[in-house]
Formats: sequence, C-alpha cells, structure tokens
Amino acid sequence: MHIVTVVRLVPDLLEEIQVNEQGTDIDREWIGVKLCEFDDHALEESVLIKEATGATVTAVGIAVEGMDRVLQSAVARGADRAVKIDCGEANPDSRALAKLLCEALAQLKPDLILAGVQTPEDLFGQLVPFLGALMGRPHASGVTGAQVEGNAVVIQQEYGAGRAARLKLALPAVLGVQSASQPPRYVSGTKLRQAIQGTKIETLSAAASAGNNGAVKEMRRPSRGQGAEMIDGEAEAVAGKIFDALVARGLVGGK
Amino acid sequence: MDSKPLVLAALMVLAASFASYRFFLRLRPMFSAPGIDRLDHIGERLWGLVPNVLLHRRLLMIRYSGILHAMIFSSFIVLFTAIIQAFGSGLIPGFSLAPVGGNSVIALLQDVFAVVILVGVGMAFYNRFVIKPARFKGSNNKDATIILLLITSVVVSMLLEFAFHIAAGNEPSAAWRPLSSAIAKLLVALGFDGERAAEAAHILYWVHVSVILGFLTYIPGSKHLHMFAAIPNIFLRNIGPKGQSRTPDPKAAHIGLSDVRELDWKGMLDLYSCTECGRCQAACPAYAAGLPLSPKILIMNLRDALIGEETAPARPAGAPAAGSNLEALVGSVISEQTLWACTTCRACMDVCPLHIEHVPKIVDMRRHMVEAGHVTPGIQDAMASFQQYGNSFKKPARMRAKWTSGLDFKIKDARKEEVDILWFVGDYASYDPRVQRITQTVARLLRKAGVDFGILYDAEQNSGNDVRRVGDEGLFQTLSEHNIEALAGCSFKRIMTTDPHSLNALRQEYPAQGTSYEVIHYTQLLLELLREGRIEKAANGKVTGVVTYHDPCYLGRYNNGFEPPRQIFAELGYQLHEMGRCRENSFCCGAGGGRIWQDDTGVTERPSENRIREALALGDATIFAVACPKDLVMYTAAVQSLAVEDKIQVKDIAELFA
Ligand code: SF4
Ligand code: SF4
Repeated sequence: MHIVTVVRLVPDLLEEIQVNEQGTDIDREWIGVKLCEFDDHALEESVLIKEATGATVTAVGIAVEGMDRVLQSAVARGADRAVKIDCGEANPDSRALAKLLCEALAQLKPDLILAGVQTPEDLFGQLVPFLGALMGRPHASGVTGAQVEGNAVVIQQEYGAGRAARLKLALPAVLGVQSASQPPRYVSGTKLRQAIQGTKIETLSAAASAGNNGAVKEMRRPSRGQGAEMIDGEAEAVAGKIFDALVARGLVGGK
Repeated sequence: MDSKPLVLAALMVLAASFASYRFFLRLRPMFSAPGIDRLDHIGERLWGLVPNVLLHRRLLMIRYSGILHAMIFSSFIVLFTAIIQAFGSGLIPGFSLAPVGGNSVIALLQDVFAVVILVGVGMAFYNRFVIKPARFKGSNNKDATIILLLITSVVVSMLLEFAFHIAAGNEPSAAWRPLSSAIAKLLVALGFDGERAAEAAHILYWVHVSVILGFLTYIPGSKHLHMFAAIPNIFLRNIGPKGQSRTPDPKAAHIGLSDVRELDWKGMLDLYSCTECGRCQAACPAYAAGLPLSPKILIMNLRDALIGEETAPARPAGAPAAGSNLEALVGSVISEQTLWACTTCRACMDVCPLHIEHVPKIVDMRRHMVEAGHVTPGIQDAMASFQQYGNSFKKPARMRAKWTSGLDFKIKDARKEEVDILWFVGDYASYDPRVQRITQTVARLLRKAGVDFGILYDAEQNSGNDVRRVGDEGLFQTLSEHNIEALAGCSFKRIMTTDPHSLNALRQEYPAQGTSYEVIHYTQLLLELLREGRIEKAANGKVTGVVTYHDPCYLGRYNNGFEPPRQIFAELGYQLHEMGRCRENSFCCGAGGGRIWQDDTGVTERPSENRIREALALGDATIFAVACPKDLVMYTAAVQSLAVEDKIQVKDIAELFA
C-alpha cells in the first residue's frame, strides 16, 4: 500500500497581504508561507492509515522555496519518503498542479492520494477533482476520515444539519481531506531536528504544461463597506430600530 | 556459662539479616540505575551539612516541627550511647562505657535526653493528631504513628531498665541518673527491690533490645528510611547551577523518563529519603490552585512504583506495566495532568529539608510525553508557533521590534553597531501590548541615563527557557542555537533583560553550549544607574502609597536576584511592606514552566489571585510591584478579575521612577 500525500505552501495570513505593483497577484516577495492547514490534516490522515495498515507514505510537493522544510516536517510527522517535483513553476494553479502531479505520480504509482480539500488560493477545491479526472480514478472531497478496507477506501463526509455519509471508493482513489480523524499530532523539536538532518529529499521532474489557464487581469483589495451604524438606547428601542432596518432592506417580512 | 551473649548475638544476626534483606530490596534498583556525578566538591558538600543537618535551617522554617525534630534528632545521637552500652554489655561480659563517662556525664545526658525525646515525641503526637497541619494530607499516618510508638517504647524500656537496676541497688551510675532514680524510688515503693528488681531489669533488657532490633527491621519499609538516607541525600544534593536543566544523554535510547527504573541512582535516593512531611505540598502553587499535583504525592507515587517494580515479576525496562496497556510510568503512576500542572517554580525544592529534586523529574517525564506527542492543545499551539515564528505570539519576526516605533528616538541595532548593553527583550516585553508600554518606559529610562544600548531586532527569538521546561529539548536547542548565533555576531559588554525567564536561559542554560555572557536583570542595571547618579533618585510623583513586591521565581529562587528590587524601592524612597511569602518563599504567579500557554481547567483558585489577596491582606499596600513581564500580565488580569483596581495597582518597577 502506497499513499501519496500532497503538501502545498500557502501565504501565511497572519501577515498583512499586499497586492503587487502590476495589480495581478498578491505580493509574494515579503509574505511568509506555511503548510496549508487542510494538507496538514491530509498528512495526518495518511499517517493514521499508515499506522493502521503499515502503508508507506510519501509526501509530495512542488519544488519551491520553503518546500524542503515542509517535506522534512512531514517526515518528522511520520511520512516515509519526501519527493519534490521540479517543474520550473513557482505557483501553479490547481489545474496546472493536477497535470504536474498526474505526470509525476505515474512514477510513484500510489494506491491512494490525499490532499487538503482546498487552499486559500483554491477556494473551490479543484485540485482533487481535476486530479481524479486526469487519472481516471474515483475521487471525493470534504473527507473527514478514511479507512482502508481491502482494495477500497471507506470515507466519511459530513453534510449540513448533522447528516453524514460513509462511501466506499475503489483504489486507487483521490481524496480531498477536510479534517483528519484526529487533530494533527504534535511533533517535537527533537524529531524535527532529526528529520532536518536526516531526510533525503528525492526530486522528480515534470514538464506537463497546463495549457492556457487564463491569466489574472486585475487583483485589488476588497472595497470597504459603507461603515457600521451604531444603534444605542434602551434595549426595546434598539430592537425596534434593528427591526426597522431589516424591514427597510427587505430582509424580514414587514407588515 | 551465661547464654546471654549467644542469644543476643543470634537475635542480632537474625534481625540484621532480615533488615539487610529489606534494605537490599529497596536499594537494589539503585545498583543498576544510570549514573550521575554527585561526588565532586566534597568540601562544599560536607560544609552544606552544617546548616542543613546540624542547624536544621529548613526544618526550622516551620518552628514547631523544626524544634520537635531537633529534640528527637539530638536525642537519637545521645541515646545511641545507650544502645552501644546495651549491645556491648550483652555481647562482651564486662563491657562498659564507664572509662569515657558512661557512669557519670553520659549517664546524666542519657537521662536528660530521655526527657527531651519523650517531650519531642509528645509534641509530634500532638502535631499529628491535634494540630493536623494540612501538609500531612496524603501522607502515611499509620507509618508515622508506628514509628512514634516504637521510639517511645525504646526510650521507656531503657528508662525502666535503668530504674530497675537502681532499685536492685546494682547500678553504678545511679547518682548521675536523676530521672531513673526517681522512677526507681517509685518502683521500690511498689515493692520492686532486691532480687525482684534485678529480675525485672533482666526482662526489660530483653524488651529493650528486642524493640531496638524490631525498629531496625521496620525502618527499611518506612518513610523513616530517611534516618539513613537523609544525610547522604543532602550530601549528594545538586550544587550545580539551579537554573540549568539536565541535558539528556545523547547515547540514551530515548529522551525523557518513561520508566521509574530509568531514574539515576540519586533520583532514586531522593524517593527513599522523603519523609512525607508535606512542606513541598504546602508551598506548591499548583496544589493550592486545586490542580492534581502535589510534589509530595508525586515523590511518594514514584517511590511506591519503584518498590512495586522490585517486588513485581521482572519485565524489561520501558515495557508497559502488567495488566495495563498504559505507559509504565506517565499516564499510570503519574497522570499527564499532574505533570502539566507544574509551573517549575522551584518552591518545593527550596523548602524540602532533604533537598529532594522534584522539578528535574517532572521535566524529564514531560520530555517523554513531548516526544510521544502527548501535549495539551495549548502547549501544542505555543510550540507550533515557536517552531514557525520563534515566538509564542504567532507574530512574524519583523514585528518583534515594533514597540520601538512608539519612541521618539531610534534604538541601536546591536547587529550593526557596538553597544555597551545588549538588551535581550524577550517575547512578552516585545509582543504583548500590555507590556510594550513598560518596555518603552525602560528604553526611555536607559536613554535618559545615557546608557549605550542596542537590541537584536528581528534576529532575537524566544530564549527557550520555558520551552525547555515544557520538555521540548529539540526546540530549545533550535531556539538557543539561533540566539547564540545572533549574539555571536554582536559586540557588547553585558546582556540585560527585563525578563527573568530569558535571564535564566542566557545566564544558566546557554553556558552548557559554550557561551559565557555576563547577563543582568534590569533591576540590577537600574540600581547601578541610581547609585552612579545617572538616574534621578526620585519617585514617580503619580505613584504614591505603600509598595509590596512579588519576587519572580526565575529572578529570585533561580537567580538570587532578591536585593536589587528592594534597594531600588529604598533609593527611590518608597515604603516597602513585604508579604509573608517573599524571597525564597515567594508564591509563583502561576505562569511559569509553560503554564501560561494552558487554560485554567481544574483551577479552583488562580495562584495570581491568591497572591493579590495576600497583598490586600497587608492592609496598607496599594502598589503591587513586579519585575517580570509575565507577572505584569498575570497580576493585572488577577486584579481585574477580583475587581480590586481601586484598592491595589500593579506596577512594573520601571514605572516607579520619576
Ligand atoms: S515546581 Fe512549583 S509548581 Fe512544580 S511541583 Fe514544585 S512547587 Fe509545585
Ligand atoms: S519531598 Fe521533601 S518537602 Fe516534600 S514531603 Fe518529601 S521530604 Fe517533605
């Protein structure tokens, strides 16, 4: 059993985001990056499956600055191999990434592929469906837990209003993980240091071009709203004003 | 031929073998335990026995118990002569201590100290059954009672034996034994004289030696093992730097303590030495807060586990205990919550009369939890932030010196310019908005005094002091290496910090990695500046009232920084009203050792609020002065949650200057 878990670097939103001079992207020069939180959960789920089945876990990411460190910490967390894909692209979008991964994965021959369900830059979570389609394999997103049973993987998906589903997918399959069955584990500084010193990062190259994906023409900060209206006074009067405001905006039924 | 020597010798051999076997059972694990170097500086070690053993310095901190212990202890030494006499004369016909005063001075001393010890034992009974100090909660009362009864029996049988000899008219020391003589008079009046008295004396002799031998065999299984273990344990105490954690053995199979048998032999001796006196429990802020930690019970549980291991069937070290799928030590003998409750404040270690080392054991068990990935969510969050950003605030390094933008002058960049004082600012002083104001005040004071100082700007990271105490050795190494490298690129004379935790790491932890900085706390620097006349000796006109002062654990107990803050108050003309728990007995605010990153689950009274109540109870103190950024945060919050802002104000020492 071989599991590939995809790791992506995303802007660290703790820092102020700026738009670049051309107005086509965020300014990546000064921004910190970190492992996408959903990928973090996918990694945890991969390691949990490994612990349950004895599978091999390979963490795979695009060769960009900071990726080595993320791959090393994936090894500290329990991944067995670390692979980076050298493709000359720094920030491929999900469609391009799916093509690159598809090409590289042919060499790794995984039985199961896990990735975070979305990233702040892939809000619609397109990587997993693209990858499933390109590989011609079953895929599912919004996964909140996965167990391997024989030649299939059983997954949990949660819907609104307390409904949930268990689905069985034939392997190989591609999963978009929303949350792992357990919160990502703690990795001590000691293990991290050992992984930093001892991890051999393999490099694969991929050349697939995503074709014409379209380019961003303009990016700007969201325009500010009209500002808040402060309502004060007695509770009843305040409630009345809120009601009036809602009616005026057509949000509640009126008379 | 008199059969007495033979019978006595046989009894002694029997008792000694049984006692030795019981001692051996207890001590066996020590023979195969990991080593630790505790035989250096013999002179200093011996000298330490004077205050700790002879003068009872720590014991006397609780006056009543200290005095009763001194009475029993000194009597034991004196009455040992009676034991020699009893066994000597029994084994060797004609043996006598008479040539060295056995029938005169020694006899008198024996009589006097028989009274002293009986009074001492009486006081101990009174303490245990009438006063019932809370610190005894959880101790083994039965064991203590048996011991007190045994001591009483030894002494009473001795007195009666002498009295019967006197009554029989064949005791050469009679004139020197006022108490025994008085009892003898009574016995004679009761009809015991001549032959009858001699016969009774004979019986009492056997009672006396039997009780002594019984006592000997009882001790190994009792907390009174301390009679033998205490002096060696104090002699073998840690005399190295208090604030330097032990570096794990790089050759060890794993980091941290996962099995009680992995304790080093001194750690085991600690367990056997504990008298269950509960002084550590009474001093512990975690215990006072209602958390499931008592340093006394921790030591007792470890001891029982070690003894249990020895009597249980053999299993390889590190393997889980039989019948449980839990870990052998952490999680079963000692719970995880217990270990996370400790603030590493060191109060337990500083009051323990036996110099037992609780904190290194707690940290070592934490190391085991950390390596196994078992941490609380709060700790995980903070540690992840350290791994990513080098601070616990999840703030980028670039923001570290943002507090300087509130100043109307620029602070030197110590990486680029030579400075006199390199200011290691620390996380809370840099990032916490409640403390930044104080950090700016300190900067202005230094500027006003013309101090040539600089900071590391974004090259500084958390010192790792508390990370190390949480148990993450690797992360501590990473942080310390980063700081040491940053400091290596700077030219400075001394390092100054407002943060006692950073002070401890830089002064006591980093030298193990080859550094040798002179590190001072800002209270010391401010005092120097006052004395050199570089800062005005005037109080802040806006701050009036009586001051009380909280000693931060890592400045006081760990780094002996008790005096400078107090001298500053004096120089500035503030009136200081000390709380009962001050200096070595200071009561931790509850933030140390990683507690600040955890929530209050299980806390019935926050240590910081307990402390503010103590300050309020002084009656006249209106300023609660602190000298630690974390204290400012903790106590400001405590004053707010107690809603006593109108009664007492938390002030950093820097705010007390004009
Ligand atoms: S160090 Fe402080 S908190 Fe920890 S056990 Fe000792 S007294 Fe309690
Ligand atoms: S550890 Fe020390 S202070 Fe605590 S109960 Fe034992 S002897 Fe007393």
